Amino acid sequence: MVKKDLSITFLGVKFPNPFCLSSSPVGNCYDMCKKAYEVGWGGVVFKTIGPKSYFIDEVSPRFDKLNKENTPFVGFKNMEQIAEHTLEENLRDLRKLKEEFPDKVLIASIMGNDEETWEDLARKVTECGADMIELNFSCPQMTSHAMGSDVGSNAELCKKYCQAVRRGTKLPFMAKMTPNITDMVPVAKASLEGGADGIAAINTIKSICNIDLDKKVGLPIVDGKSAISGYSGKAVKPVALRFIQQMRTAPGLENLEISGIGGIETWEDAAEFILVGAKTLQVTTGIMQYGYRIVEDMCNGLMHYMEEQGVDHLEDLVGLANKNIIPAENLNRDYIVRPNIDLDKCVKCGRCYISCYDGGHQAIEWDAEKREPSCNTDKCVGCLLCGHVCPVGAIKPGKISIKPGRKCKAEDIKL
Amino acid sequence: MDKKYTKEFEPGFTPLTVCEEASRCLLCLDAPCSKACPAGTNPDKFIRSVRFRNFKGAAETVRENNALGAICARVCPTEKYCQKGCSRSGIDRPIDIGRIQRYVTDFESSAKMDILKAGKENGKSVALVGSGPAALQAAVSFRTLGYAVDVYEKEKVLGGMLRLIPEYRLPDAIVDEEIKRIEKLGVKFHTGCLVGKDVSVADLKAKHDAVVLAPGYSYGKMLPLFEGNKYVVSAVDFLREVKAKKGDVKVPSNVLVVGGGDVAMDVVSTLKLLGVPHVTDVVYEQFSEFKASKKELEGAQKLGVTIMDGFVPAHVEGNVVSFAHREIKSEVKIEAELIVLAVGQYPDVSGLGVELVKGEVNIGKPYYTNDPKVFVCGDIAHSKYDKTVVGGVRTGKEVALYVNAALGGK
Repeated sequence: MVKKDLSITFLGVKFPNPFCLSSSPVGNCYDMCKKAYEVGWGGVVFKTIGPKSYFIDEVSPRFDKLNKENTPFVGFKNMEQIAEHTLEENLRDLRKLKEEFPDKVLIASIMGNDEETWEDLARKVTECGADMIELNFSCPQMTSHAMGSDVGSNAELCKKYCQAVRRGTKLPFMAKMTPNITDMVPVAKASLEGGADGIAAINTIKSICNIDLDKKVGLPIVDGKSAISGYSGKAVKPVALRFIQQMRTAPGLENLEISGIGGIETWEDAAEFILVGAKTLQVTTGIMQYGYRIVEDMCNGLMHYMEEQGVDHLEDLVGLANKNIIPAENLNRDYIVRPNIDLDKCVKCGRCYISCYDGGHQAIEWDAEKREPSCNTDKCVGCLLCGHVCPVGAIKPGKISIKPGRKCKAEDIKL
Repeated sequence: MDKKYTKEFEPGFTPLTVCEEASRCLLCLDAPCSKACPAGTNPDKFIRSVRFRNFKGAAETVRENNALGAICARVCPTEKYCQKGCSRSGIDRPIDIGRIQRYVTDFESSAKMDILKAGKENGKSVALVGSGPAALQAAVSFRTLGYAVDVYEKEKVLGGMLRLIPEYRLPDAIVDEEIKRIEKLGVKFHTGCLVGKDVSVADLKAKHDAVVLAPGYSYGKMLPLFEGNKYVVSAVDFLREVKAKKGDVKVPSNVLVVGGGDVAMDVVSTLKLLGVPHVTDVVYEQFSEFKASKKELEGAQKLGVTIMDGFVPAHVEGNVVSFAHREIKSEVKIEAELIVLAVGQYPDVSGLGVELVKGEVNIGKPYYTNDPKVFVCGDIAHSKYDKTVVGGVRTGKEVALYVNAALGGK
């Protein structure tokens, strides 16, 4: 079996591998985290511990999922708030986990409701032996507006609470950000100014996942009603990658250390997050659907990827894609690449024709006799929608044409 | 020549269809598939790897557990093993595990992966007699444990019974590739060497720390009624010849086959794919008690083979055979230009110094013989596993552990 060193140092703490449970229902108690460590997770962000005064009272049921065609869990909606166990129970579990798994990383997630509670919680989890702290500035379904994502969208509060936490601990800590904001850079910067060492992103996206058509209410239904709450899973991956990439490329944040979160369930997802600058990775939805065991293929697949890339340290892959993600106005607009249709592979379904006509530029032509598509290069603008809808991958980028009057050379174009 | 015989009968999955099939898998808790695989190939794990797009990891799981993974993927009677208890059957039909495994091993081959690794040399050596599935797996298991391995094969080609399985089910190229992989591990092969004649067991014992006999059931059984009949060939000889000549053989237009096991199904389907218009298979068992795997039976039926179940040969006059039904008063008389007997196989252990009881060596201790330096595996070993390729693989894995324990290894 392939063997590669997956360890990585994040905020000064060495992780045996970058895969962590995110602060959520999947890391809710000692037994769960113990099993996760044993299956191979490198770290755990224990479910967010709140102030003693804040009473957690959950609804039932509390989840919903978005399906598309025959794929369930395209996205997942969750209404759970923070840890429902008592502060004493949570602190006891943290202590026990660190004692029994000294080589694994234990991150305590905390959420206060004022400076005093932030500072106090930071002190308490530090005393329990946590390696690192994550500040939950981002849960979108808290029943208090002084907590959760309302904090993460307010730079001033982020800074103030980070300062409070800094007073309570010497441990490295990261602020977990909400995507329910246009630009994450100002709040990330404010958190760093307040003393945070890094950023975790993204938390869940405020959502209404489905509406019951008979009852005319969102799902899940709680006594005839529903509420907006956090959306996660594969569907949010593109949003997460975008926020992370934007932070890592913002002036002054080029070396920002980030823990990436948002729809990770395969090694490929993990590699994508690393390539836009995440050093560690956090997972919840994939675990809720499939269990802790998904880490096995993520670790093994990532090792194979490192082998293929000729890389011995995971660190060497961090952020490599960022220099290739540039403002839209800076992209090369001098050429058109038209589709190449492989008729040996084509199963003659005509989906390329339909999509090109109805969603493109009416460039795919259909020979009704032969039941065969072809591309009219006069009409084709090279959008390649046809390639995306082809069910058998028979349509690939083909010939490059340079737009009239442009100086660029076809052979220099990197597809 | 018609290429039907040499083309794989069942198409493989594509990158698209293998993902579709893997996504049908329910990824269940106590996966029945993995519990049922005699080779311990662990389908639940490799299907999960495919599901999560870790194809290389899937290949590692298959290969590390089964040195003949690409062969088993094609020939295993999965409906009796991994697919039997598949939870997906509660919705519609089991996952096509064999075909997923085939995709994974094809991927392994196209990615040029070298998964098998020899263990640290332990200074000891083992001789394997025979090069069928059990011996090939044993060779790998011994190499993994650090033993030097020499394989002695009586034929010119390696693979034993694997060279009988028709090309449309198991292309020679696949067997060659599996063997090449094993050779790369440092296994030394000696072909055209009949142990007991060209070299004695005593010689092997003197040269090696242990000798493992795996001669297999290589010879076709004869029925007294057909003895000396010039129209009769054994299924084993027939299949071996057709495969060696890649289907380029002369066959008459009317063939009678006697027998209803997997070998018989290979014969009748081969005949059909070679273009024989009249293939009649007469079988002792009735359909309700049929021995051949369902898949192979269905394949033969689809090809248009006439199968008469429940009949036993009663009288033979040259190329005319009369059969009587076992239960009802009924007779049929069939005249054919060629008669193929597929009524079982037997091993030849002459000169090997072991005694067989019901075709097996059984001294009450698995894989042992009365000689403490000589062991057995494969068909002639008494075990609870079927005498199939995958059953052979299992005995090959086990004998290595027994020998290792006997030689004081960990």
